[in-house]
Amino acid sequence: MRWGMVVDLTKCIRCYACIAACRIEHFLPIGMSWPRLVAMETGGDHPTVSTYSVRCNQCHDAPCVEVCPTGATYQREDGIIAIDQDKCVGCRYCIIACPYQNRTFLSKDKDKGFFPGRVETDFEKAGKKLYRHQVGTTEKCNFCAERIDAGLAKGLKPGIDRDATPACVNTCPAQALTFGDLDDPESEVSRLIREKGAFQLHPEYDTDPSVYFIDGKIGYSDEPEIKDDSRQEPVRT
Amino acid sequence: MEIHEWMINYTRQTEWIDRRGIFLWIAFYAGGLGGGLYLVSLYFNSLLGMFISWLIIAVVKGGTHLVYLGKPLRFWRIVLRPNSSWLARGIIFVLTFVVFALIQLAFSYWLPGTAIEIVFKVLAGISALAVTVYTGFVLNTVKAVPFWNSTMLPLLFVLCGILGGFGLSVIIGLSGGNVDIHAAETGSRWLLIANALLIAIYLIAAAHRETTGKKSVMEQMRGNLAPVFWIGIVTLGIIIPLVIAFSSYFVGDISSAMIITGVICEIIGGLALRYCVLKAGAYKPLVAIAS
Repeated sequence: MRWGMVVDLTKCIRCYACIAACRIEHFLPIGMSWPRLVAMETGGDHPTVSTYSVRCNQCHDAPCVEVCPTGATYQREDGIIAIDQDKCVGCRYCIIACPYQNRTFLSKDKDKGFFPGRVETDFEKAGKKLYRHQVGTTEKCNFCAERIDAGLAKGLKPGIDRDATPACVNTCPAQALTFGDLDDPESEVSRLIREKGAFQLHPEYDTDPSVYFIDGKIGYSDEPEIKDDSRQEPVRT
Repeated sequence: MEIHEWMINYTRQTEWIDRRGIFLWIAFYAGGLGGGLYLVSLYFNSLLGMFISWLIIAVVKGGTHLVYLGKPLRFWRIVLRPNSSWLARGIIFVLTFVVFALIQLAFSYWLPGTAIEIVFKVLAGISALAVTVYTGFVLNTVKAVPFWNSTMLPLLFVLCGILGGFGLSVIIGLSGGNVDIHAAETGSRWLLIANALLIAIYLIAAAHRETTGKKSVMEQMRGNLAPVFWIGIVTLGIIIPLVIAFSSYFVGDISSAMIITGVICEIIGGLALRYCVLKAGAYKPLVAIAS
């Protein structure tokens, strides 16, 4: 069993619902974002907005696991790369080693509270009880491993049953995100990868990511040509 | 919502050089300098040099590493994965050096010339070499940053560390320590030339290692890092020490002030080299855009 995700970029409507859902699910501090939506303009005179919804790729051969000096970052049997916050020393070697830059160090300035200097909101108070974030450690997307574990314990099937599926996948109104078992050739993710030619980001790093993309607008090349004088400008949506 | 520009452009790493990352930069350099000084002091059998190198590694390197960590009280956990992590190996090297060198210093002070002293000199010497070299491996195993992904980096860091060690040993000699100043100057001279050549080869090789590597090199030579590169590495780190070294070779005795100036320039050059290497390390864009 290896959990994976397919992001259909042709369906993404840039609503940021996946990011909001993750923030609520994990009570993320205000300066922290596990998934990210990259929005950019492409095409010279008649630009179109393109987006990539990215998150930790849960690589099969994860460089972050290899370099972690404490064993805080580890790979579960289902392929998810997890972090034991109680073991992390905050050396940030994993952040340096990740070719996808999908890890974030939770520093004090990223955890100021929603209203700095004011009383904490009920949401923040609940979050501190239910999902403790430790300043001084590294964080990243974990495919909502706690939802998967709880769902499996109830006999549910991740990717099919909502209670066992990552929050971002559940909330996506355009159904651009699909979750399932990459090792099961009959799963929806395997079918999409097979039939729609889904690809991984930066395969040249040999990390074998578990997040695949279906791309209708932006191509992928091994060595991108990005000229200094024609930098792609990110746009707010 | 926050816009993540780094995902669509070449972006340099920031965690190990910006803000508190400055401590890691100092720690990396202190390891090379301390290890290099210990090896040079072993050659000259300078007890003062060995003691200073111990202080540099135990206090400066150890202290800055601790200050950098997000959770310094969990420091002991960092040694638990030496089978795969160069950072874990490196900290083990530092700890073994601190212990072996301390025992060696005690034997050298109270029981000099004994077999056990020689044993601990060998053990501490091996640990010092490992401390000098490991930061190069910490960086060159990061495939995500092509500028670092070079087998020459550990060699460059070792040479730079030993060069700094020769420089400091000259100052120790001038201060009355047991160092052959003439031999130390000769060592500095040859290592300066070797270091300059190695830096040039490293940069040329990096420039031919993917577009990202080339961008890192250009950032150093023409971008925001150009002042640090040309003033710090080239002028202070190579040209001025070389001029002073060859002046003493051709002219004969030169003033202590000139020698000390040369050593200070060498150390600034070493710091600038580590700074540029860390600061210029860049990632490919996460999302490639078809041109």
